[in-house]
Amino acid sequence: MLEILQDNWLLFLVGQYPHGPIGGLTMTLFMATTALAFCFPFAIALALARLSRYRWLSSAATAIVHTVRGLPLIMFIFWTYFFSPLVIGRAVGGVETLIIALVVYEAAYLSEIIRAGIEGLPKGQFEAAAALGLGYWTTTFKIVLPQALHNMLPSMVSQFVSTIKETSLGYVISAHEVTFAASQVNNVLLTQPFEVYAILALTYFVLCFALTSLARYIERRISAGRVVATPVVTVAA
Amino acid sequence: MGYVFDLRGVLSGQYLDWFLIGLATTLALTCAAWCLAMTMGIVLTLIRMIPFRPLEWFVALYVEYHRNVPLLVQIFVWYFGVPSLLPRPARQWINVHHGEFLLATIALGLAAAAYVAEDVRSGIRSIPKAQNEAARSIGFGYLGAMGYVVLPQAIRIAVPPLINQTLLLFKNTSLAMAIGVGELTYRTREVESYTFKTFEAFAVATAIYLTISFGIMACGAYVGRRLKLETV
Amino acid sequence: MIRFENVDKWYGSTQALAGVSGVVGRGEVKVLVGPSGCGKSTLIRTVTRLEAIQGGRVLVDGVDVGSRSVSINRLRQRVGFVFQAYNLFPHLSAIGNITLGLTKLRKMGKWEARERALAELARVGLAEKAEAMPGKLSGGQRQRVAIARSLAMDPEIMLFDEPTSALDPEMVGEVLAVMKQLAASGMTMICVTHEMGFAREVADEIWFMERGAVTERGKPADLINSPRHPRLQGFLSTISRAPK
Repeated sequence: MLEILQDNWLLFLVGQYPHGPIGGLTMTLFMATTALAFCFPFAIALALARLSRYRWLSSAATAIVHTVRGLPLIMFIFWTYFFSPLVIGRAVGGVETLIIALVVYEAAYLSEIIRAGIEGLPKGQFEAAAALGLGYWTTTFKIVLPQALHNMLPSMVSQFVSTIKETSLGYVISAHEVTFAASQVNNVLLTQPFEVYAILALTYFVLCFALTSLARYIERRISAGRVVATPVVTVAA
Repeated sequence: MGYVFDLRGVLSGQYLDWFLIGLATTLALTCAAWCLAMTMGIVLTLIRMIPFRPLEWFVALYVEYHRNVPLLVQIFVWYFGVPSLLPRPARQWINVHHGEFLLATIALGLAAAAYVAEDVRSGIRSIPKAQNEAARSIGFGYLGAMGYVVLPQAIRIAVPPLINQTLLLFKNTSLAMAIGVGELTYRTREVESYTFKTFEAFAVATAIYLTISFGIMACGAYVGRRLKLETV
Repeated sequence: MIRFENVDKWYGSTQALAGVSGVVGRGEVKVLVGPSGCGKSTLIRTVTRLEAIQGGRVLVDGVDVGSRSVSINRLRQRVGFVFQAYNLFPHLSAIGNITLGLTKLRKMGKWEARERALAELARVGLAEKAEAMPGKLSGGQRQRVAIARSLAMDPEIMLFDEPTSALDPEMVGEVLAVMKQLAASGMTMICVTHEMGFAREVADEIWFMERGAVTERGKPADLINSPRHPRLQGFLSTISRAPK
């Protein structure tokens, strides 16, 4: 197994670069980070919409979230694969498709985490802000969201881990990430599939386990510093 | 755009059959994997109760592996990797007996089992120690206190998360298409490639997935309400 | 019936019990009082080995509670324990809480157990609440069901760990009434409580504890009216309760 790693570590790490597009673990991390970063504003919007006092807004947001949670990610990816070229007007590569699909998918799940964070804040916070005469937007962006996001930091790191795992589905649409790279290595070697995929599994394991441990560490730090109980939501994708 | 949305083409004759076979396969895969997951989850929970360090590490490692490695990669390890380790007769047996379905079931079931074990463990840990004490104070031993007082309450708490796991399992069966299992997503792509009616084909599949998913979610909400015990 | 011989207990480096000795005879009612953290709850919990001890012995009917050969489960069936937080089983009805021990431990038949359970509920004044779930009962009712649950096992000794401390004031009386009845019927009891009125009426002896040791012992009348220890004087003056 070590020889496979020695011979192919570059492929796992950066794909076929410089003889092709960047791929491998680099692309995996790039896609996960980009998707999560881009989905953030949508996630916040969805969470606020769900908690809004306007019935039509909260119903629409709830419908969106339930629909996304009801569909397998792979269906999302196919929808995006076939229809984003039509919407954008040009051909869309595997990586872009995956990022777009993940932005929509993750926005729904992240919005649930943010919503839990907001609902978990003590009512006194809202009452104090109202007593001071702060409007909805000021309250939301200066008081509610900073605290909610801080409290839900461990859950958000968990969601980042989930996103990294979800990038593996890029294989199905030939997006150049690390699972795809592994399958390329396997197609060349042919005789040692177990070793190749074991290396792949190990790569994900090390990366995700490290991040999960980070999430647990953050959670401990937050619990120790807070008097108020914080809800921990693990929304598995 | 001048595109006519026509479901009839997609829902007629053999294409309808393909959808139905796909649905049947998805459901079969879900059920088979679910049974494996529940069994293995209970086994893991029981192993955890044995106060023997190496066994606790084993379960911890099992859970961490299945939670940190993507499910698709786990499926690949089982489908591409494991058979190459088995002796030739075993490999041939697998090939003849619906190898993809079998290995996909194993991968999905074992992965879900890790979450089942964690949900049951959370349920047990959420029962206050005082309940155990009260049961012991009446004279129950460890097994009696567990069986009559702690577990009945823990299971009530664990059921909603377990129903959520069922939903996840149902959705995850779609990954089996990557190794050629003819479940709903795989068949949908078949229909789409034969009829070129991409939108209609995926719309049908989406409708089917959503119907069943909402059914499971509603089930979970209902059961959650019924099982709720007021705090004492 | 219960004998404490030089009982020591540590939680890490803190000493919870320091050389506590004492005797509780058959049919006697002893009341343990003291400031919080003095070890009175810890002491009462050592009787059924809910707390382990590091030094000394606790004997119930001449048998060392800590010895390996003792069946602790058998012992706990003979000694009833009532918790401050009642600890009813929320997934069982009031009568279900009581029949559980009867059917599974005493191996009674279902109907026999139900009859016995109803009798115990009637004894604490809750016969009509037999099928109610604990979540629907008031604090005082829950505690009375907890007492009935312990009594159904026919204990020779009843231990009470601050049974009324978690109750609203208007419900304290109903629980104390049950306990007084029990005392009058000749039950051997140890009660940890702040209810001095109850102690004065019912206790054969009051033990005042401080930092893990019993610093004063005596009959209620003596102790409450003329306490020797300045700490006890101070303690009594802080509990201002009208005598019931």
